[in-house]
Amino acid sequence: MKKYKTKYDWSAYLLVLPYIIFFLMFAAYPLVFSLVLVFHRWDIVTPMQWVGLKNFMRLINDPLFFKSIVNTLTFLFIHIPLQIVVALGFAMILNSKLKYRSVFRTIYFLPVVVSGVVVTILWQQLYSFDSGLLNRLLTVIGIPRIPWIVSPEMAMPSVAIMATWKNVGIYIIMFLVGLQNISAELYESSNIDGASRFQQFFSITLPLLNPTIVVVLVLSTIGGFSLFIEPYVLTGGGPMQSTLSAVLYIYNQAFYFSHMGYAATLGLVFAVVIFAVIMIQKKTVEMDSTV
Amino acid sequence: MIKYILSLCVSIIIIGCSEKSADETAISNDIVTLTYWPAPNPQEVQLADSIVKEWNRLNPNIHVKMQPIPVSQSTEEVLLAAIAGRTTPDVCSNIWPGALAEFTRLGGLIDLDRFTDFDSAITSRTPKELAESLRDPNGHFYQMPWKTNPVMMLYNKRLFEASGVSAVPRTYSEFYESAKKVTRDIDGDGQTDIWMGERDIRPIWWQRWFDYYCFYIAASNGKTFFVNGELDLDEEASTKVLEFFRTCYAENYFPHTYFQGGDPFLLERKATIFVGSNQIATLKTLAPDLRFGVAPIPVPDNHCGPVYTYGDYKNIAIFSTTKHPQEAWEFVKYLIQTKYDLMLLQIANQIPIRQDLLSNPVFAGYFNNNPMMVEFAQQAVYTRSVDAAPDLKEIFDALSQEYEASAVYGRKSPVDATLSAQKRIKVIVDWNK
Amino acid sequence: MRQIIKYSLLILGAVVFAYPFLWMFAASLKPEIEIGGFSLWSSNLSFKNYEQVFARIPIARAFFNSIIVSCSTTLSVIVFGSMIGYALARLNFRGRNALYYLILFTMMIPFQITLIPQYVLMVKLGITDTYLALIAPTMISTLGIVMFRQFFMSIPQALIDAARIDGCSDFRIIFAVIWPLSRPVVITVAILSFMASWNEVLWPIIVVRERTLMTLPQIVTLFTIGGQSEALLGLQLAAATLLALPIIIAYSFFQRYFIDSMVSSGVKG
Repeated sequence: MKKYKTKYDWSAYLLVLPYIIFFLMFAAYPLVFSLVLVFHRWDIVTPMQWVGLKNFMRLINDPLFFKSIVNTLTFLFIHIPLQIVVALGFAMILNSKLKYRSVFRTIYFLPVVVSGVVVTILWQQLYSFDSGLLNRLLTVIGIPRIPWIVSPEMAMPSVAIMATWKNVGIYIIMFLVGLQNISAELYESSNIDGASRFQQFFSITLPLLNPTIVVVLVLSTIGGFSLFIEPYVLTGGGPMQSTLSAVLYIYNQAFYFSHMGYAATLGLVFAVVIFAVIMIQKKTVEMDSTV
Repeated sequence: MIKYILSLCVSIIIIGCSEKSADETAISNDIVTLTYWPAPNPQEVQLADSIVKEWNRLNPNIHVKMQPIPVSQSTEEVLLAAIAGRTTPDVCSNIWPGALAEFTRLGGLIDLDRFTDFDSAITSRTPKELAESLRDPNGHFYQMPWKTNPVMMLYNKRLFEASGVSAVPRTYSEFYESAKKVTRDIDGDGQTDIWMGERDIRPIWWQRWFDYYCFYIAASNGKTFFVNGELDLDEEASTKVLEFFRTCYAENYFPHTYFQGGDPFLLERKATIFVGSNQIATLKTLAPDLRFGVAPIPVPDNHCGPVYTYGDYKNIAIFSTTKHPQEAWEFVKYLIQTKYDLMLLQIANQIPIRQDLLSNPVFAGYFNNNPMMVEFAQQAVYTRSVDAAPDLKEIFDALSQEYEASAVYGRKSPVDATLSAQKRIKVIVDWNK
Repeated sequence: MRQIIKYSLLILGAVVFAYPFLWMFAASLKPEIEIGGFSLWSSNLSFKNYEQVFARIPIARAFFNSIIVSCSTTLSVIVFGSMIGYALARLNFRGRNALYYLILFTMMIPFQITLIPQYVLMVKLGITDTYLALIAPTMISTLGIVMFRQFFMSIPQALIDAARIDGCSDFRIIFAVIWPLSRPVVITVAILSFMASWNEVLWPIIVVRERTLMTLPQIVTLFTIGGQSEALLGLQLAAATLLALPIIIAYSFFQRYFIDSMVSSGVKG
């Protein structure tokens, strides 16, 4: 075998140096320091105090932390299916030969680009029990008013609906792209075979859309785990802590009660939970796609 | 030769200068400078100004510099940061007992009972029970009681009269009876217009001082949450208080939403509020025609003895960074003189913590002109502060959540909520040990 | 018939997604009592609420801050992203693959775990309440690096060889030769980066407490939940409209780019 010397470009090291510095400062240091912080108690102002495993002991006895994780998962369980169904629905309608497609696309995408703060302030009014637009609409139709964000049961679903409204635009377009990649011939030949639209959907559309569905799933999940500004502005975490997301609870512990060490502990455990959920998702989805 | 002369000159100059600075040091050794931080609100700054001017006139050797506490998120945070950074003043008169645990944990304050005349200073001024409640778990006193803001019930006289409430309610049952009469729908639109009372339903930690906590102190006959540094919740009192608020919300005597569009008490939409004494001046300014009266916080039906309540105390402390503790102590004693307590009443409408408030003729003029303040002055003796427990904010936060679940939403029984609150407070306390 | 149903649904969708914005703008012009109504019109329209917003909070300053932070971040992301993407795509060096996997790995780290220590780092460096603290953590985007790398891998080697023969340094190769060809990816990364930075609110809330340094979404957030808006809906909606306006204006000019960027980032991610 001819041995040849690979030509190395030393200039490359200069080019990637910024990233190395960046990595050390904003990835390596935070990871390492978080492992230090979880064993300490600190409020920034006064010196750090070693507390050993106390933060973990406290976490185990912290019903509010578990509630916040359950809340976040509740959010995901409502938001993700809703998002997929709505996005797929609109995508399928848009997929046919229609005029003004790009106009509709532009409009549906609008909520995506604006800040979550705008959406939340807007929906705060829409959801208002007495004077909100949604309840006014219901009253006009004759349906009793819904306690959107004042009922502990309805609050998180309301947040999920609002989040779906905000983000569904991207996924409509992603599904649209996915649908357009499915060759029309497949449908034609199945038509010849006498397949109903129903059957076509389940045996052609869905399976071929699987990769897109996976992407939508993963992105929505990661986004869902960062849920913060919506409950922060809309409900402050209430009523009865039903919209307290995990990130919001961590934020409160760190910046409202100044428990840096405990907040870091919560963050660490939460990151493990996120990891576990994503792994489970991957496994389930991989199982589906091999079917 | 020249070199010799030169070095001689230099030496003379150096000796001359150091002589001067020695003189200056001698002079500055004679004058002690103290820094005093009052609370940053205009009334107390005005008061502090007068006090300091007079002191400096009488004590040319002890100069006090007055600086209002730097305005930031909260004065407790500012003080904590100052303690950590060793930039504290000598004296501060805005010490909140709830933050004391944090201050002493860092060794930021000196124990006042080291001064031989501390005992007489405090006993001449403060009732024994109240004084004891301000003693730190480790046995020392780190704060000199100064003023308090007792929470009492203000009621709208016109609304009571109009709905046939003849006697001001004192007990829970009487309160319910009055509520039934007062709470009603005036304009027939199906929605209540006049409420018996209203509280912020959001679980904001300090809001509890104006509902659960003041009622708890009343119902428990003056107990707070901790005794000698250990958690000792009066479960019965807590349950009764939660039951009271639960009833008010369940029977719709209190609304479940917050008001938009102005203060409901000013607008005469609600008949009672639970506030501190400094609100009286504000109310009089904003609604001069409003006829209202003062009464103690309602208590459970079988209550006997005086009615206690929560008082927002602000006390005086000396920081451990002080270089002149004795002089600082002299200034503290000067601060709590009768004439300045009178000014406190006149300028800030806050109650100085004195046993002789109503008996001392110095104050008679003020109380003649402000009869409602007499009620607060009588109440002042029977007030309790928050405990000097660590993480007080989180304790009240947990409490607020249990209160929300039990009283506002009626989802948890008062007993369960009490036990749950107790458990959560215990976790917080243990974590802080 | 089918067509009619489809169009109706699409129009219904359009109303659902667009009407709330129109309503928000209209409501911000109405007097407070009329805000609950559906109509977009009122006889008492005025800009009073906007005047109030400008009077109560330094919103123009916040806009300026957001511009500075977002532009700096975007510029930095593009410059560094293309530098590192180029190195990973076209240059040969020891540890190249390891570095690439490292970058992929860091993409997977949830921010929930690095948030607090990152804040602590800002405190220790003494840079809280500075533009630097707002820009630094997002100066380099791993997604940006990946996108640049992917694009650069498709550039014909011949082009680069020619430039090298001409004696170009790597920097010149990146910025003078490759960049002009990279419009799509530069625009994509720029838009993604700018949008993310502009709408970011959790980090500013954490590291900036000084009002004059707050970013636009941050100041609107604090205006809404702090006491300053006094629960007056008109003020809050006016502030929200002001916050939405810049991005909506940018969006109306560059819709295609926005849509394509965000969708392709998802597909690649």
